[in-house]
Amino acid sequence: MEDFTSSTGQPSGKSPVSNTKQPAGQNLGVAALITAIVTFILAVIPCVGLIAMIPGIIAIVLASVGLSQASRSDSPRGLLIAGLIIASVATMISFSQVFVVGRISDKFKNKWGSDIENVINDVQENVLNELEDANVSIKVESNGEKVEINTSVNKKNREQQLEELEEADSVRKDTLVRKK
Amino acid sequence: MDRFRNEPYLLINFILAGVIILVFIYSGIFSPEKNSYPVVCVHEKLTGEECVSCGLSHSFSLIIRGEISEAYDWNVYGLRVFIFFAAQLVMRIIFSIFYLKYPETNNQLITYDIAVSAMLFLVCFLPFIETLISQFH
Repeated sequence: MEDFTSSTGQPSGKSPVSNTKQPAGQNLGVAALITAIVTFILAVIPCVGLIAMIPGIIAIVLASVGLSQASRSDSPRGLLIAGLIIASVATMISFSQVFVVGRISDKFKNKWGSDIENVINDVQENVLNELEDANVSIKVESNGEKVEINTSVNKKNREQQLEELEEADSVRKDTLVRKK
Repeated sequence: MDRFRNEPYLLINFILAGVIILVFIYSGIFSPEKNSYPVVCVHEKLTGEECVSCGLSHSFSLIIRGEISEAYDWNVYGLRVFIFFAAQLVMRIIFSIFYLKYPETNNQLITYDIAVSAMLFLVCFLPFIETLISQFH
């Protein structure tokens, strides 16, 4: 194994690894922080708030893995903790959108319920009104004989018929009285 | 590139600026006339009723095309959210330049950035935050 250190413990030569090597978990921390910030912005927008849960969970996982790596090698953990906190808050906000959707659904469920009731009442009224003015046609066919009865159960006709019947009834009563 | 690797602040600025540019490209590609936006409102799908952020994509597209009054019709809060993203893009560029030019003030710069960004976020997203909070009352 090549020795990069001198007797003082300092690197003796240019090590390609030592120049580019990041503290453990730092790349994950940056990724987690960026994902968390994007999640935070998305979580606040109601339209896409629920979807933000996915990057939020990803950010939490990234930050957690980074933290475990950093704690093993005593690397700085500020970025990772920041990422984890922002991701947790963003995911909580995103999750709270579920309740918002639930509330709105409940509100419109009640509204739709009353709307359906109104529609049913309207239809019922219309049917009753149409029935009042219905024309009924009855066709009876028996042994080659055809009988067709057409009648109109128009409300006005019915009222007229009723009046006529009442008049006829009163005339009949009068005649009966006279006969006595 | 090594500078970006060693400075998380610069990397974050770079990626956030990229994300904001992507948002603007998205708004520019999809036109409000064709109405072919791939992102649909989850609320509208579930409840059948528009939410406070509905029409934001349309609004962004119209703002990019310079039709501010029409954008306002699509979403009342579209302009202020757009201003947040535009301001963030400018801030990412300016703060990155300051960070590189004046390394001795880096800590103050980051503190100032966090404070300004948080304030801007609260001001621009206040209607959405209010809607979110109002559901728990």
